Amino acid sequence: MKHELKKVCRIVDEMLTLLLHDTTEVDFKIINRDEKVIIHILGYNTKFDDEYIDTLKIILNKQRQAEVEEYYWQLAGETESDELVLVSAMVDHATVEKQDGNLYIELIRLYT
Amino acid sequence: MEEYNEFIEKDLHKENKLLILSIFPISFLIFGIVYSFYEYTGIDGVIEGLLFIFISPTTLLTDFLKVGGIGATFLNVAMIGFFNLYILKHFKLRINGLLIAAFLTVIGFSFFGKNVLNIMPIFLGGYLYSRYQRIPVKNIVLVIMFSTALSPIVSEITFGGFFLPGYNYIMGTIIGVLIGFIIVPLSSHMLKFHDGFNLYNIGFTAGIIGTVFTSFLKNFNRDILPVSIIYEQQNIFIILLLLALFIYLVLIGYFINKDVVKQYPRILRSKGRLITDFTVLDGYGVTFFNMGILGLLSLTLVLLLGGTVNGPVIAGIFTIVGFGAFGKHPKNCYPIIIGVLLCGLLYQMDYSSTSFIITVLFSTTIAPIAGTYGVIIGILSGGLHLTLVNNVGIIHGGMNLYNNGFSGGIVASFVVPMIDAFKKESQ
Repeated sequence: MKHELKKVCRIVDEMLTLLLHDTTEVDFKIINRDEKVIIHILGYNTKFDDEYIDTLKIILNKQRQAEVEEYYWQLAGETESDELVLVSAMVDHATVEKQDGNLYIELIRLYT
Repeated sequence: MEEYNEFIEKDLHKENKLLILSIFPISFLIFGIVYSFYEYTGIDGVIEGLLFIFISPTTLLTDFLKVGGIGATFLNVAMIGFFNLYILKHFKLRINGLLIAAFLTVIGFSFFGKNVLNIMPIFLGGYLYSRYQRIPVKNIVLVIMFSTALSPIVSEITFGGFFLPGYNYIMGTIIGVLIGFIIVPLSSHMLKFHDGFNLYNIGFTAGIIGTVFTSFLKNFNRDILPVSIIYEQQNIFIILLLLALFIYLVLIGYFINKDVVKQYPRILRSKGRLITDFTVLDGYGVTFFNMGILGLLSLTLVLLLGGTVNGPVIAGIFTIVGFGAFGKHPKNCYPIIIGVLLCGLLYQMDYSSTSFIITVLFSTTIAPIAGTYGVIIGILSGGLHLTLVNNVGIIHGGMNLYNNGFSGGIVASFVVPMIDAFKKESQ
């Protein structure tokens, strides 16, 4: 795939924008393997309510859509409003959980 | 984030969604055949009409209803519709809002500009690009469907008298393939210019390509100018067919989701900026319902303005209906339309003329501006769009069928940073 690393950077950018609207302290860890990339995100003391977190989980787990990704990936991270539908089109699986008042998100993107 | 609304609806398989969309080409095919006999043109007349359509240069505005007649035009639309459905099925694409928008946009523009011959080289170019870059063809199919906006270049090069007979076919094909090859990276890049506030992004991209191409020809003293070949008769059967199709969409929406009427107002809160896929955010029931409502409202508006429902107007209506799955709804469209109407009054334009009507319809490409920044900004942007759209067509010589997408991209890239300049950071 073309621009693979840039696409990962755009996903991170988009998620960082979302999290910085929520909290003042965020950790990112990105593991880049041969077959996939895993993005771990930890937002401390989240103010997102349970309903929003459930919605986030549903949206991010919509099916990956290669044709949407190919066309629109450069929009990710471009503006202050979020593009979570676009992020969902670029990841294969998402875990979204609230643990001890922190928001934990794991995004997995397979290299096809 | 764009508002996600919980919904419960009938589970639709991909085949069901394709079946829902296939009603369009099927009904056009039947209408075309029946109408050709009604007109006493018969099969011979239809074939002759199709030939006229195929050899037309097809630059803006070439209405196929005028060039080839009603029967032939509807057959052309049906053939292109079936071809695109086959592509969607063959590559096992998920039928999302964007693909619905692409499909209906292509259907609409098959009434003026796209025919089964001039779109093929562009598809071939896209295929070669995917092979060259070693990416699956399904990844770029969507862009290629939209990018057939530049199909008039193929027709113009082939039938515009630029090359000797024989060479013209080769050159037309080569240019079409080249366009298909370069449009994927270009269209993705151009999104940044307007930050997703122009829904017809390929229109903007195609405008840039058309401008480069036309400038190139001008340097060889070959001018390509827009034309105006328009079907001027009001045809009640076409109106009734469109009416039936839009009611069909409303009913399909209701069939999929019985609470669609109650849930529909929620879609109106959406800003509509790229990418807003209503099939993801609100479900297929609400999406089809929205598309039907937009179709009925668009058709009503055209008739209220005294317009003729001809090829370009049908294209405008179908593009709105298509993008009813991907960002447009009545609430983010109406401020833009009011802006165009008010500005048209100021410029003393003829409200019933086809060129004005299609500007009214296609101006909704910048609906996300109204959805994001409100009614006043939407009205101002609509006025600005009308101001620009009448002057940008000449730049690409009518080579870009999505001329309003070109103008919309310029408007969005002008308006959005300006709003940003005046907006104060909220804490």
